[in-house]
Amino acid sequence: MKKNNTEWISIGTVLGDTNIDTFFFNLKNHKAKKGDIVTTESKVPTEEGKVVPVTVWGKITSIESTNQFFPREAAQELTNSNIDIRDTILPTTRDELICKVLILGYTKNLNINNMKLLPLNYPVRPAANVKYPASEEVQKMLITSLNSKHPIFIGSLLARAAVKIRVDADNLVSRHFLITGMSGSGKTVFVRRLIAEMLRLLFPCLVLDIHGDYLGFIQKQKKFFPNNKIKLFYPKLSVNSEDKEIIYTLIQKLGKSLTDPQNDYLNTLLERIDYKNGASIVEYINLLVERSRGFISERNSSTKGRSNGFSHFKASTMYVVTRSLREVGKKLIKMEQTNFKHRNKMKNLNFEELPDPVSEPEKIISKGQLSILYLKGYESLPASAIVSILLEALFSHRQEIQEEIPPFLTIIEEAHNFIPSRSENKDNLPSVDTVRRLISEGRKFGTGVAIVSQQPNRLDSTIVAQCNSQIFFRIKNQSNQRFVRETSEYADKDDTNQLPNLANGQAIICGQIVNFSLPVQVQFDEHLLNDDIGNEDFISTVDKWNDKESVKQRKKFAKAFSNISDIDIRRPH
Amino acid sequence: MSSKDNPIQKSNNIADRIKNNSSLFVNFIKNAITASPKVQKNFLDVSAKVAETVLKIIKEADLIVDLDYQGKDFWFQNRDKISCFVDGGIDKLSLLSAAPLSIRAGSYIVQPNANKPNEREYFEESMIFLGDLYDPKNELYDLADDDYEEDQMTNKKKDAARIIFEAATLVKHILLNRKFNYCFLHGPLEATAMPFTVPGFPTFTKFAVENLMPFYNKKNLDPVSRHFVNVYLDAINFIKKSKFPIYGIVETSNSAPYIKNLLFNYKNKGIISNKNFNDTLATIKKYKITDSNLLEIILSSNQALKPIEVKKQISGFGVTSESAWEDKMNQFPIIHMGYIKINDQQSPIRIESLHSPKKLTKDYEYILATSKLLPNYGFPVGLNVVDKFAKIPNWMSRASRNYYATHLLKQAIRNKDQNTISLAVKILSKKARSWGNRPRMGGNR
Repeated sequence: MKKNNTEWISIGTVLGDTNIDTFFFNLKNHKAKKGDIVTTESKVPTEEGKVVPVTVWGKITSIESTNQFFPREAAQELTNSNIDIRDTILPTTRDELICKVLILGYTKNLNINNMKLLPLNYPVRPAANVKYPASEEVQKMLITSLNSKHPIFIGSLLARAAVKIRVDADNLVSRHFLITGMSGSGKTVFVRRLIAEMLRLLFPCLVLDIHGDYLGFIQKQKKFFPNNKIKLFYPKLSVNSEDKEIIYTLIQKLGKSLTDPQNDYLNTLLERIDYKNGASIVEYINLLVERSRGFISERNSSTKGRSNGFSHFKASTMYVVTRSLREVGKKLIKMEQTNFKHRNKMKNLNFEELPDPVSEPEKIISKGQLSILYLKGYESLPASAIVSILLEALFSHRQEIQEEIPPFLTIIEEAHNFIPSRSENKDNLPSVDTVRRLISEGRKFGTGVAIVSQQPNRLDSTIVAQCNSQIFFRIKNQSNQRFVRETSEYADKDDTNQLPNLANGQAIICGQIVNFSLPVQVQFDEHLLNDDIGNEDFISTVDKWNDKESVKQRKKFAKAFSNISDIDIRRPH
Repeated sequence: MSSKDNPIQKSNNIADRIKNNSSLFVNFIKNAITASPKVQKNFLDVSAKVAETVLKIIKEADLIVDLDYQGKDFWFQNRDKISCFVDGGIDKLSLLSAAPLSIRAGSYIVQPNANKPNEREYFEESMIFLGDLYDPKNELYDLADDDYEEDQMTNKKKDAARIIFEAATLVKHILLNRKFNYCFLHGPLEATAMPFTVPGFPTFTKFAVENLMPFYNKKNLDPVSRHFVNVYLDAINFIKKSKFPIYGIVETSNSAPYIKNLLFNYKNKGIISNKNFNDTLATIKKYKITDSNLLEIILSSNQALKPIEVKKQISGFGVTSESAWEDKMNQFPIIHMGYIKINDQQSPIRIESLHSPKKLTKDYEYILATSKLLPNYGFPVGLNVVDKFAKIPNWMSRASRNYYATHLLKQAIRNKDQNTISLAVKILSKKARSWGNRPRMGGNR
C-alpha cells in the first residue's frame, strides 16, 4: 500500500480550511473528473493517543473552473468588438480548477490487506498532496469497505471504466430499492443486469412486466442461464371467495359510477351469488349478469317479486347495475384478448396461465427461478388487483411457520401504476396497501421489492420512503428532481444536480447497497434483449413495408369499382 | 458610444458637462461634509469657472490629442507587441508587538502571438519579502539605525518597502535586458519621496540593497547610501536609462499636479498674472479640485492630454527643509505627465514617464486599447491582471498572523512566568478599536 501510494499520480494540492467531511483542492489541468476517487495523506490521532499516518479517500463531487485574471468586463468588449482574445493581452492560461471532495473515510497505511474505510475524525492537512490512486486499489477499497457476503457486479465507476462497481446483494433483496429515471435512461438495463446476477445466485425473482422488456431472459435461458428456470405467465383474474371486496372495487371502478341504491343492489347481488374460490372473475361477472336478469324478470312478475327480496329495488336500478356489470365483463374480456394478441405475436415463447398463488405458490417462486408476469394490455385497476392478489398470497406463504416458498425479490415495473401517490386519486388501488405491507414487513420475511418508475413523484411517498437504496438515472423533469432531492437521504446536493446531465446507462447509486453514493456506468447486457420486440426503428419498418395480400386485393378491386363510383346517380332534371 | 455621439461631450458648455460628471459629484459630496453651506453652494459654479479657464489654456497650448481605437484591427495589428505590467502588493495585517510584513512585486509579461502557446503569457513573482519589521534578524531594514522601532511608523516603512520593490522590479527587467515593447507600472512612476525624509527613517540593510539593486557598487553601501531617498533616486535614474518605454499609470489623482504645473508654466511665460495664478491655486485648494474631476469635464472619451513636465519632488517643505535630503529632492528626474480619458463614465487616467514619449499617439493609443478591454472601469487590463496576481491574499495574511501568534504564545509558555503568558494572551486577543465595539445606547440590544 505504502509503495503504491508513492506511485500514484499527484494531481493537486489541498486548499486551506479543511474539515472532516469535505475538502477542496486545486486540480492540475485534465487530471481528474467529477465522480473520481482521490486520496490524500494525513495523520489521525488514535484511541491509544498515538498519531498514525493514514490515507484519506474522497470523491470529487464538483469541479469549478475560474480565471480570476479574466475580468467579466473584458468579455463584454471582446464580444461587442468581435475581438479574438488571442490577439489581446488578456491572460488565457490561468484557469484555476477547484474540486470539492466529499470525504469517504480513511484507510490505515502499511496495511495492504485491510483497506476498509474508517470514518475520519480529524481534518485533512491543508496544502497536502492530492493523488490519483490506481484503479486496482480503488476497487480493492470499494469492495473491502462494502463488506458484502454477496457482492454483485453492476458496472464501472463513471469516471474510471477500470474500476468495477459491485453492490451488496443481501441489502438489495431485503431492504427494498427504488430505480428511477426518465424513459430510455437505463432503468431496464439495470434491472436486467440485476436479474442476471440474482439468477447466478439462484435467488428467485418475480417481475411484473408491462412492456415485455424481460422476455429476452426466456429466449436466452438455455444459452446463458442453463441452471435456472425461467417462467412466463399471463394473468388470470381470480380471487379468493372471501375477498369479494376486490370484485366490488373492480365493478365500481371499471363500470359506471353507481348511486347509493344501485350500490345497494350490487352488494345484495354479490352476497346472494356465491363465488367459487379461484374461479375466473369474468365468468363470475357473467354469472352475475345472468342472475340479475333473472331477478329483474322475477321482480316484474308481481307474485314472485315480493318473495325474492328485490321488491324494494326499482326496476331501473336493477337494469343500470346489470348493464354496468355487462360492460365491466366486456372490458375484462377485451383486456384478456389484448393480452392474448400480444402473446400471440410471440408464438415461440411459452406463456403459461398464472398458477393459483394460494394453492401452488411453488410454481411461481422457487429456487433459481425467474417468473415474469406479462401484464401488457391490462388497465391499471385490473392489473393492480392481479398484483395485489398475487403478492398477498405469496407474502402470506412467507409468513407461515412452514415456509412453502424461499425468499424472493419482486420487481415492480412502471410502479406508478400499482403504487400511485395520493395526489393521483387512485389510492384505493388494491396493490397500494399490499405493497405497503410487503415493504414494511418484508424485511423480516425476505420479500424484497424493487420499485421501478420513470415518474417518482407519482409514487406513494410512504413506500418510496422505505426504499433504503436508490438508483437514479437521468431525470430532466423539475418536479421529479425535486422529489428525489426531498426524499433521498443518501443522495447529496451534488448528486442530484448531476441527474439531468447523466447519459444513457449512467446512474447514481446510493443507499445501503453501497457505502457511499457512486456515479456508475451500468453494464449493458445486449445479449439479454428481447429479439421479438423491435428497436423502435419505425422509419426502417416503413421503408421495408409491403402491403399484405388482403390489402393488395382490396386496393385492386377498389380501382375496378372506381368507374362505377364515378357515375352520377342523380336523376336528370 | 463615441464622443461624437455623446450629446453631453459634444456640448462645449462646461455647466452641462459638470451635471454628468461622476467624480465631480463625489467631490461635491466630500465638500458637503466638510465645507460650509456657502462653499457647497458655490462648488459647481467654481468648478465650472476653473474648468472654463483651464480649457482655454489647454486649447491655446494645443494639448488635446484625439486617439484612435478600432478594437479588432488594433489588436490584430499589435499582437506581436511584448508588454510587461508591474504591480506591488503588501499585506494589511497588524499585530500588537509585531509587524509581520509580506510584500511582493509581480510582473505580467505577455506577447499575444508568441510562437508557442506556453510562451504567450508569463506571470513572474519578481520580488518577494516575508518577515517582520521588528525582527532583529530581518533582512530589510537596518534596525541599528531605526529610530522608529518603537513608534507607529510601521505603515510608512511598509510603503517605502513597497515603492522600492516596485522600482526594483523595473530595474530587474532592465538588467535582464528584456525585450519589451512597453512596460507599465501600476501607480506613479516616481513616487513622492518627501514622507520618507523624516530624520531617523531607517536605512535598508546591505543585504536588501544588494539584492534589490544589483547594479549598486558594493563598496559604497554605507548607511546614507542605503537610505530610501538615495536608493530610490538611484533606482529612478537607472530606470530612466531603460531602452523600452516605461509608463506609470495612476487611476485617480487626488491632487491637481497637471493643472497646477500648467498654470505655473503660463505664469512663468507671463501669460497669467501672479495674482490670477495665486487666486486660482487657492481656489483649487479650497474646493479640493483635482486633475481627475476637472479633466473629466474637459476631455471627451478617446482623448488625451499631451504630457507636460512636472516636478514631483518639491524642496522647501517643512519636512525636507534644511534636512540632509533637501538637495536630493532636486536631483530626482522630472516627470512627463499626461492624461487619457477612456470612457464617459470614468475620470481620466494619469500617465507618467521619465522621458517625453517618442511615439506619443501610438503609445497612448496602446494604453487606450488596453484600457478599453475594461470598458467600464477604463484602466489598462494588464495592470488589473497583475494587481490580482501581486495582491497578498487574505488567507496568506491570516496564515502569517497565526504563525506570529503561535510563536509569541510558545515563547511565553516556555518562559513559564504567568504574567508573561497572560500578557501574551492579552496581546493576541486585543483587537484594534473600532466603531463596532463602542457601547450602545439602551441596554444590551
